[in-house]
Amino acid sequence: MMGRRTEASVALRHSDTDDRPPGVANPLPSPMSATLTHASDCSATDLAAAGISVRFQGLAAISEVDLTVRRGEVLGLIGPNGAGKTTLVNCLTGHQRPSEGRILLGQMDITGWSPQKFRRAGVARTFQSGRLFKDMTVLENVETTAVGLGRSRRAAAREAMDALDWLGVADSAERLAGVLPYTDERRVAIARALVVPPEYLLLDEPAAGMSDSECDELLGFVNEIPGRYGCGVLLIEHNMRVVMNSCSRIVVLDGGRRIAEGTPEAVQKEPGVISAYLGEG
Amino acid sequence: MSDARSAAVAFLRAAWTPAALVAALLAVVVVASALGAEGGQVAITEMLIRVVVVIGIYVFAGNSGILSFGHIGFMCIGAYAAGWAACDPEWKGLMLTGLPAFLAEHRYPMPVAVLGSAALGGVAATLFGMAITRLSGIAASIATFAFLVIVNSVYANWDTVTAGTSSMVGIPAVVGPWTSLLFAAIAIVVAYLFQISGYGLMLRASRDDAVAAASSGVDIRRLRLIAFGVSGAIVGAAGGVYAHFLGILTTDTFYLDLTFITIAMLIIGGIGSLTGAVVGVLFITLVIEVLRALEAGVTIGGAAIALPHGAQEVGLGVLMALVLIFRPQGIMGGQEVPSPFPPAGSGRLRAGRIPESENGKFVEPVR
Repeated sequence: MMGRRTEASVALRHSDTDDRPPGVANPLPSPMSATLTHASDCSATDLAAAGISVRFQGLAAISEVDLTVRRGEVLGLIGPNGAGKTTLVNCLTGHQRPSEGRILLGQMDITGWSPQKFRRAGVARTFQSGRLFKDMTVLENVETTAVGLGRSRRAAAREAMDALDWLGVADSAERLAGVLPYTDERRVAIARALVVPPEYLLLDEPAAGMSDSECDELLGFVNEIPGRYGCGVLLIEHNMRVVMNSCSRIVVLDGGRRIAEGTPEAVQKEPGVISAYLGEG
Repeated sequence: MSDARSAAVAFLRAAWTPAALVAALLAVVVVASALGAEGGQVAITEMLIRVVVVIGIYVFAGNSGILSFGHIGFMCIGAYAAGWAACDPEWKGLMLTGLPAFLAEHRYPMPVAVLGSAALGGVAATLFGMAITRLSGIAASIATFAFLVIVNSVYANWDTVTAGTSSMVGIPAVVGPWTSLLFAAIAIVVAYLFQISGYGLMLRASRDDAVAAASSGVDIRRLRLIAFGVSGAIVGAAGGVYAHFLGILTTDTFYLDLTFITIAMLIIGGIGSLTGAVVGVLFITLVIEVLRALEAGVTIGGAAIALPHGAQEVGLGVLMALVLIFRPQGIMGGQEVPSPFPPAGSGRLRAGRIPESENGKFVEPVR
């Protein structure tokens, strides 16, 4: 377990975003180019929910939802409150076992796996409420994931510092996580999920409650993740302007069902989306 | 900074907490020996053995956040294991007819017997841990209490192996302050190494937020089981040392009184740090000794003062309530001994701005 992916991951970490072939001007690379450039050690596998439903004592939280996250893309997941977005993310990360349907990682059926097995298989997440380890330092928070994935303490500390550095919170490494300001807390949570880069990163409203400028700054990082780490990102976000700018594809949930999927432009024109989410006006 | 010097600083930084704690205990032993009080040696030895017990409980409870009421059961198991190894074979042949030959016919020296105590305590904890690590929170704590009751009942009635309600006698009482200090020092080092290891880190993460820890790839059940086994081994060893201090064993020694006093020590000192575990034992022992002396009566300025009988228990209870009201996290509040050495990765980590205080709770940067 210790040596698994170590070399590849280190190489991945230090690969620079700017080493894309010249001529690729688009800051959001196509899914395939990112995958090929940065993660040739891993087969191109999708993370997919296939027809999953979750019922809480007969009450359906989500019904027969299909969703596929591809490596190298930022997939937006939007929908009104109570649409089932977090429940879907819980299913995709092992925190909620679907009542029906399957979760697939490539060809592998990972339905019913525990959260730590999901993370070890390369599916990471953040939580809406942050859920940092409050009595531990920022550095220890991030180290925990690296150690949990088999790194030595020394290697874990180094990789954790790199992740904190990239997210601009390295200065707070020795502070207790419980006293961080809100915006830094979100960044530490992302660093904790990103250390020992996963193949998929699911972000549950990372910018909730932030001002527009704070939100833009954070989403700047999110947009860089696929190119830098070669992973696929699923982003739950309420701010429509942000979603439209960040995501190459968007899935819309309403009342526990998937009502639309497509490019931001296409989704915006769907009548169902307009009435359900964007409002008539 | 040269490599040798930075390596030395790194070592001092890592070794500071255990070194400071051992030094504090050493100072207590030296001062007590110098005062030369009659009962002092006995009280100090008992205190140091309790340091081992409380540290053992801390390894599991402090790191995992699950309080255990069952660890004195492991101490009982360890003490009787040492008794089986160290008793006079003639007496064993007469009283403990159920013992296997390698125990019944031989007599082992104290270090071997204590190793056996640690091994049996660790094995028992690992087996029992497989059951309780499936539980969490208060359910796990209640299960540990059930374990204590089971061990007590079995050992009190297993006549051919434990001598049942009559005592096991004839264990060489060779442990004094210095031997127990040695075991306390070993316990401190083992507990500290566990705490700063990856296991300790992941366990503390699971204590703060089990859901997020699982999402960080932490196998919480496995870690709790490892911690439970290590902690059972430490407490088992403490039982073996205690057997070599008392020289005589009864099952009543390892029951509710000892359970509650050791848990009180851990909580009063602060369950969140190794320093808290040690400070708790020192503090409660001091309080008990002072109250005991007052009960016996002292003469101040010609006036003899004696507290009524029972003042010791009442005083201890009141004091514990006061500490918990004013310092619910215990005396140490989850902190270790303040270190004169800057924390790890100083150069780079310290380069940034000084973090502003919020609640005054962050770790003060040392320059």
